[in-house]
Amino acid sequence: MPPVLVIDHHNGVPAYRQLMDQIKFQIAAGVLKSGEEMESTRALSAALSLNPMTISKAYGLLEREGVLERRRGQTLTVRAAEGGQAAAARAEVLGKALEAAAATARQLGISDAEALRLFKATLNAHQHEHD
Amino acid sequence: MHTSMNTTDTLTSVRPVVARNLTKRYGRHTALNGLTLDLPEGRVVGLLGRNGAGKTTLLNLASGLILPSEGTIETLGVSTVDLDTPQLTRLGVVQQEGRCIEWMTVRQHLDFNASFYPRWDRDLERRLVDALEVDPKRRIAELSPGDRQKVGILLGVCHRPSLLLLDEPASALDPIVRMQLLDVLLERLRDDGCTMVISSHLLSDVEKIVDWVIALDAGELVENAAFDELQESFAEWTVLPRNGELPGQFDEPYILSREGNWRQAVIRVRTAEADAAVQFAERHGVEVRSRPLNLEEMFPLITRKKATS
Repeated sequence: MPPVLVIDHHNGVPAYRQLMDQIKFQIAAGVLKSGEEMESTRALSAALSLNPMTISKAYGLLEREGVLERRRGQTLTVRAAEGGQAAAARAEVLGKALEAAAATARQLGISDAEALRLFKATLNAHQHEHD
Repeated sequence: MHTSMNTTDTLTSVRPVVARNLTKRYGRHTALNGLTLDLPEGRVVGLLGRNGAGKTTLLNLASGLILPSEGTIETLGVSTVDLDTPQLTRLGVVQQEGRCIEWMTVRQHLDFNASFYPRWDRDLERRLVDALEVDPKRRIAELSPGDRQKVGILLGVCHRPSLLLLDEPASALDPIVRMQLLDVLLERLRDDGCTMVISSHLLSDVEKIVDWVIALDAGELVENAAFDELQESFAEWTVLPRNGELPGQFDEPYILSREGNWRQAVIRVRTAEADAAVQFAERHGVEVRSRPLNLEEMFPLITRKKATS
């Protein structure tokens, strides 16, 4: 069964963007593996109750960014990333998530050292949760 | 199952609706004023506007139900004065309060309408009767407003039109049936690639399906753009001073509104520049946190003409 994608129609982020971010996240996290076949535009449109144009747009842009590739026979698959690329993709996903935290730190006037200490502490807390 | 019916269709590549300087007056009241518009094909167009903005007038002009006072409008390639069988069989109209033949049962009405359309899809009809939970044995006269609306939808889509005009199609439907309706419309889109225009006040519904937005204000066209583009250009910024206080005024032309005081301001902006917030922060020595706006939040900014400053 393909991994679940969830679209929030009410948060103002275009649905195609949400799709792209989630697919990138799933690839970075290894949920979608390289060479794996993407669901057809039609099937995904039915599953998510989403305009098929939105899905073609997301797929098209991911293809242009080199995240997906269209093989002969028209199937769209996850492109195999080279070592460096996979790491860069993971860093990009985390960097995006950290942006809001960085803005908050600046607005609160928290020093860089203090912000880094907090992030470390938060990481540690999560490690304990999972161990 | 339906693909066999998607045979070469000479009319599908015709522009759905083209209006030039379209004006409609009712006595002294101008409902639509000099509208020029070329509806994009294969899209789901959200027709937005406040009450009395001209939405129903535009839809009725497009379906040929009323004729323009000035200007021209072509639907499926033909002036609406001359709409005839080839166009009318490809046009689906769901009116706000559709007129039905009251003494008929739902079943009879479906059969009656089906007799006019060579493309009437019985299989689709059966599935929609199920999905929308309509009892075909009931008489039209006995139906609740919600059930009437469902019949209106059935009568508007079962002939698989290539242009579907929906005027407040969900206003009397409960949330569960509204979801079913959206799925029905999306299915039509996938199977037939038709063009849809939906006017609705239920913006959170529209948001799920629309990929193009047309907005009217007092009879004039005030917006005509891809929905993605709108979502990417409207934003709300929370602005805090980096040290001290905020300037008394920001004069960037893309600012639509400002609230707050010298300690914190919330401004709504419209700009296609991706790094506008960063540049703004730099220029004014402030911190900016940006979030996108949903359609409900955009609506007043789109439908109200730019505030006269």
